[in-house]
Amino acid sequence: MQLDFAQRELTVKLVYYGPALSGKTSNLQALHDATDPSATGRLMTLETKDDRTLFFDLLPLTFRGQGELAVRIKVFTVPGQVIHSSTRRLVVQGADGVAFIADSQVAETQHNAEAFLDLKQNLKSNGLALKQMPLIIQFNKRDMKDVRTDEEIASLAAQGREPVYLAVATRGEGVVESFLGLLHLTWSALEAEHALGKKFGFDSHAFLADVAAKLNDRRSVSEILGTCVGGALEVLRPEASP
Amino acid sequence: MTGASATERSLDDLTLGSALALEELVERTALGEMASSFFDLFGVPLRIFSEAGVLLADATKQPAIYEYLNERHRRARAALQEVVAAVKRIDPGPKGEASYTCFTGAVYHVVAINYDNRQLGRMILGPFLPPTVKEIPQSFLQVEPDADLVVVKELLTQMPRAREETVRQIARHLRGTLDLILFSGHKALLTSSMHLASVRESFRDLQEKNEKLQEAYDRLKELDRLKSNFLATVSHELRTPLTSIIGYSEMLVEGIAGSMSGEQTEFVRTIHEKGEQLLELISGLLDLSKLESGTLAIRKSDVAVDQLISDIMQTVSPAARKRGVFVTSDLDAGLPRLWADSTRLRQIFLNLTDNALKFTPQGGRVVISGKLTTMDVEPDDEEGGLVLLPRKQPAIEVRVADTGIGLPDNEKTKVFDAFYQVDSSSTRQVGGTGLGLSIVKRLVEAHDGRVFIEDNHPKGCIFVVIIPCRRSTLS
Repeated sequence: MQLDFAQRELTVKLVYYGPALSGKTSNLQALHDATDPSATGRLMTLETKDDRTLFFDLLPLTFRGQGELAVRIKVFTVPGQVIHSSTRRLVVQGADGVAFIADSQVAETQHNAEAFLDLKQNLKSNGLALKQMPLIIQFNKRDMKDVRTDEEIASLAAQGREPVYLAVATRGEGVVESFLGLLHLTWSALEAEHALGKKFGFDSHAFLADVAAKLNDRRSVSEILGTCVGGALEVLRPEASP
Repeated sequence: MTGASATERSLDDLTLGSALALEELVERTALGEMASSFFDLFGVPLRIFSEAGVLLADATKQPAIYEYLNERHRRARAALQEVVAAVKRIDPGPKGEASYTCFTGAVYHVVAINYDNRQLGRMILGPFLPPTVKEIPQSFLQVEPDADLVVVKELLTQMPRAREETVRQIARHLRGTLDLILFSGHKALLTSSMHLASVRESFRDLQEKNEKLQEAYDRLKELDRLKSNFLATVSHELRTPLTSIIGYSEMLVEGIAGSMSGEQTEFVRTIHEKGEQLLELISGLLDLSKLESGTLAIRKSDVAVDQLISDIMQTVSPAARKRGVFVTSDLDAGLPRLWADSTRLRQIFLNLTDNALKFTPQGGRVVISGKLTTMDVEPDDEEGGLVLLPRKQPAIEVRVADTGIGLPDNEKTKVFDAFYQVDSSSTRQVGGTGLGLSIVKRLVEAHDGRVFIEDNHPKGCIFVVIIPCRRSTLS
């Protein structure tokens, strides 16, 4: 997070992590397409000629809350291929929140687990603890054959702490929900640490509602956040609070 | 922690903060070319400034009226200078554009260059004359009442003319184009810095791993040294009591302690024989550990190889006869003497010959041949004068050829490893500790020589030992 007191501007960094080909870039594309043009810039993709992410994708979003604070959100993806570990370590540096995009296909279960351990390791080498990182998990590619069932995911999610979302990113399903869930978690963690609401007269609920509107989702914030299965959205990671 | 050095900017600096400068994202010459082509197309002068006020592109031509006023009218010149300074200072404000009208009636349009919600610089379009200005404006007369109005009017008509709305539209178009250029520039900047950062990160990663490997290697080397020490100590301790066992059993066989029955003698002889075998094994281990730790003393003297080999022939001939294997030697006449340790040299050739016998079936043949050859000199420039030294040195090559089972190629180097057995099954037909060849190799190397295995056609193999003659020929 970077706070510019003079400009009354806050910059938040969110990172979409996950195994290769799990749909991180598709998430950003769908998010970009859903967002009101006034709130987003161009989606920057640094990719190789075969459409695989080489370094990262970057989606800039800007929202203005009801207080005096402008919130700039930079959404990054990491390259999923195993060999790009050092790049992932660079990108995840200074992340305020992480969305883990898992591939729902049964055959990808092992890759999901490996990528998750990789995330943990890379956070650790950046001096960050996974336990304290605002984190949501998205099971993407729900439209594929041979995917893990809704019931299986729900029952596992119920035992975990991270809110879990189901998505088909290529059709835009579950993308806004995941993003808003992550933003909510991240915001709560930042709020707990920096008391932004008090300093800037910032109403975080109104802010989320504004973001939802800019993402062209007409539902209420709690309705959108409520689409997650399992995890704890209300009280975030008590150990993260100082 | 990962991270770049203080002089380099992190990924966060390049994406989150406000540290980007216009001149980093665009190529200055190319920007100048774009501004010129814009000027050629629309006729409206254009200047581009960075946020720090550096002029990055300048596609303007001093209007004739400005030249005229600058040359002839002091007051007007001062006023013009003020105008230029004022225009440079104009802040486009939150709307991103502002206008300024000069006393000549000419208009300047100032537009902010924004990227990612940050102002990176300004474009100044103008001066141009709006079509509404048809006469010399009142403001001009106030500044310079003495001017020749006919000339001024004539020169004013030569000024670029444009509607303010048109200029605004052009500015919007220009801003859109610039935005695309800035985006591409930013992307290129990020790509190149990520390339560098990734390489640096990978390098750091590899360095860390190398350090770990080096540590592990050092630890293993230390363990290996400890193992050799242990072997040396144990072998020595084992040898002492064994000497007594061998000595006393020998005395018993010789009847020093009274006569024994035939069966008793047979048993004690077996004890003596096995004791000797054990001693051989222990001596082998001791040699090996000494060779490994580099403490085996090599006492070199002039050695006659032909003599040494015929000794060995005699030594092995009883065993060869017993196995029904023919052993012959084929030595070139006049072989020079070797500067070597005769005991160790004997150990080398005896071991190889024993080995050949062991693996040659009845009716087979073992041939020991020796000839003079040369071997490459290992370049060693420590002493200097490398260019003067011979490339080749005389050496003696001894070949021990058998007609046994032979060795597949992949085994040809492994057999020199300690304890290695080609047939490691418990039912193997030929005994041995697996130490002999590894000791041979180390002994040969201790003499700066080489040992290797060739195929013996049609079957069997040849152990080739090449040892440089060294001092004996030079001296």
